[in-house]
Parts: sequence; structure tokens; C-alpha cells
Amino acid sequence: MIRKFTIALALIAALVSFGNKATAQCDTVANACVRHMTNKYISDGQHYRALLLDKEIAEFQSTFYGGTTYRIAACSGLGDGNLVFRIFDKDRNLLFDNSEQQNASYWDFKFISTLDCVIEAQIIPGKAPSGCAVMMISFKQ
Amino acid sequence: MNHKKYLKLALVGFVLFSATALLSSCNDDKNKTEDTDEEPVDAAKDNIVSVNGELFSIPSPLQSSMLLKSSGANYAKDILNLTSHLPSYSTEYKKALNLGVYGADLGYVIIYGQTQDALGYLNASKRLADDINVSGAFDASLMKRFEKNMGNNDSLLSIFTSGYRATDSYLKNNDRNAVSGMVITGGWIESLYFTLNILKKDFKNKQVVVQRVGEQKNTLDHVIKLLTPFYQNPEMTELTELTDALLELYHEFEDIEVKYTFVKPTTDVANKTTTINSKTEVKINEEQLKNITEKLNAIRQMIIN
Repeated sequence: MIRKFTIALALIAALVSFGNKATAQCDTVANACVRHMTNKYISDGQHYRALLLDKEIAEFQSTFYGGTTYRIAACSGLGDGNLVFRIFDKDRNLLFDNSEQQNASYWDFKFISTLDCVIEAQIIPGKAPSGCAVMMISFKQ
Repeated sequence: MNHKKYLKLALVGFVLFSATALLSSCNDDKNKTEDTDEEPVDAAKDNIVSVNGELFSIPSPLQSSMLLKSSGANYAKDILNLTSHLPSYSTEYKKALNLGVYGADLGYVIIYGQTQDALGYLNASKRLADDINVSGAFDASLMKRFEKNMGNNDSLLSIFTSGYRATDSYLKNNDRNAVSGMVITGGWIESLYFTLNILKKDFKNKQVVVQRVGEQKNTLDHVIKLLTPFYQNPEMTELTELTDALLELYHEFEDIEVKYTFVKPTTDVANKTTTINSKTEVKINEEQLKNITEKLNAIRQMIIN
């Protein structure tokens, strides 16, 4: 009975520890990523993160207002160039793919007109098997 | 048995559990594929993970304030939510929504350079953030930096948006997604409220602001979807009522014509900038604007009173 209890406790502790580690990892990545947002850019006040395994793709939808320049930063790990991110319009026309720009960790987008977009992000195979993907969206004052 | 053997067993158990969890997730994906109709398997779709368990981001209320100012609208303090309403917000529902509302108001005040009003809204935001146990988002250091930078609008914007991002981050890290959704919803409702009501006043470039109202159709759809996971929660009846009201509001947007034309983007590699040339045209008439204003005003009254 005591043996079973100890085993269960160890498993729970391991799982909780894993969960806390994942959050801490994301916070570390976010702190490294925020340096791409200079003072000229205002955060949209939201926090975007996903834990990705292997070939998983993080996806979310966003509306970008016309007449505005946005900066999107997408990071994983502490260094640059670990994440591929792509932006599509609602008809899945590709608007941008950072893999065509040496996997740049951030890029600026000038929207002539308001658009609803889909953003996808994926950890580059070989860079890391899994990890936290953090995205940040800011707009120019 | 001694403790070393117990630990060995625990470690083996953890490895077995993890392996089982991973294999099980692979099998679930396989089963999903087998259960679908005879559609070709889209490997990319099967690997999609939503961000924060949500699929949407909502534009910042600051952008509405920036548009109003650049369109020539004068500062209108009378449309903002009074900070004197603060003591009446006693439930987590009211506190979270009005944290978003006061955040939108604070952004508006800063954009217009009305720093004498800013501190009141920042204090209100801090009080509500503390009340909903968002540990440290509006800490003493942030409050001090804000006071120190009064008069420097750029710094004030940077400081207060960092407080709101920290709030969002804390709530999502702690799986308080309903509260996060309410804060974001409150901010969106307030920003649309002051946009619609400032349109009643005179200023030079109204058409672009009217267009922005029409462009909220998709954002409203996303706001509703953000709140939908909590819709039938018996502990969140007020949130269900709010979602119903937002659905009623969405009916007023349904007939707004939106025409989209894809145009190839152009990239300036040296400046790391891509210009998105695609065009969206929105057609919204006076009747639609009037109906949207009436319904939005009623929703806003519901959350600030």
C-alpha cells in the first residue's frame, strides 16, 4: 500500500514538474523574443504561445487593420531562426513565409487594407524536436 | 523494500506513463483519420495546434483610439466609463470585463495626451487586476515607471500595454481562459462603444471610422467564439447572457457587405517589410450603423452598471 502510494506521488510530482517547466520555458522564450519589439511598436496586449511536438503546427487567426504597420515576432528557444512562420489570407493565399527570409525571427507588415489572416508557426525540424513557440504582435505608433 | 527501489519503480512508472501518453495521442490521431468520411488525409491539418487553446487574437482597443485621433475627432472624456463605478464591481465577471473597459479608456486618454486623466484609469486597472488575483501584473515598479513618465505618451503606452500583456500571460498560464476572454471582450466592447458614439459628433474624416465599424464583423465573430467554451457553464450565467447579447449584435453585422480582393504582396528585404496589397471593401449603411449602435450601447450598459 505504501509502495503504491509512493509510486503514485512520484508520478504526479513528475507531471506537475513537467507542466511548470513548460510554462517556465515559455516565459524564457517570451523574454528573449520581446527584444525584437522596439519602442516604436506597441504590444497588442495579448500573449500567444503553444507547446509544439515534432511536426505540430501552431495556428491562429488575427485581424490586421488597414493603414497600420505591424511587427510579428515568432520565437522558440533562446536563439533566432528556430521557427518557421507563415501568414495566409482567409482564402489561403500565402502572404508571407519567413523560410524565404533565412527564417527571420521578426518581420514588419504594412497593411493597405484591413485583412483577416491565419498565422501558422512550426519548429524547424532538426533545430529542436519540441518546445514552446511564442508569437508577439505589435503595431507602429 | 528500501527507498532506492521505490524511486527506481517511480522512475520506471513515469517513463511508462509518458510512453503510453505519447502512443495514445498517436492512436487518437489515427482513429480520427479512420472515422472521417472519405476525405484525403491532410497531414498538415492533423498537426494543427491552437495557440493558448484559442484560435483567435482580438485587435487592441488602442488602434480604435489612434484611428479616431488621426481622423480629427476631438477628445471626448464624457464617453468614458467613470472610475467612480469601480466600487460597484463586486463579482469576478464584472471586474474582469471592466478591467478590459478601463484598459481601453486608459489607452484612449493616453493617445489624446490627457495624462491628467490617465492616473485615475491606471489605478482603476490596478485595483481590478489585484482583485481578480492577477499577481504582479500592475506591480509597484510598473506604477512608479508610469508616474515617472507622465508627459511622455510613447513610454506610457509601452508601460501600460506591458501590464495588460502580463495580465493576459498570467491568466493563460494559469488556465484562467474565461477571465482572459472577459478582459479582452470588455476592451473590445468599450473601444467599439466610443467609436460608435464619437461618430455622432462632428469631425473631418468620418468615412474611414464608419468603415472600421463594418470591419468589426469578423472580430465580433472571434469574440463570441472566445467566450463560447464557457457558454453552458452553470457557474457563468452572466457570461452566457453576455454571449447571447453579442450574438444578437452579430445579427446586425450579418448583412454588411464585405468584398475582398487578393493582390500579391511586395517585399522590401533590406527593411524587413512586406506590404500586403490585398483590398477589403466594406459597405455599411446608416440603418445598420444605427442598429449596431443601439445594441452595443445596451451591452455596454449591462457591463459597466
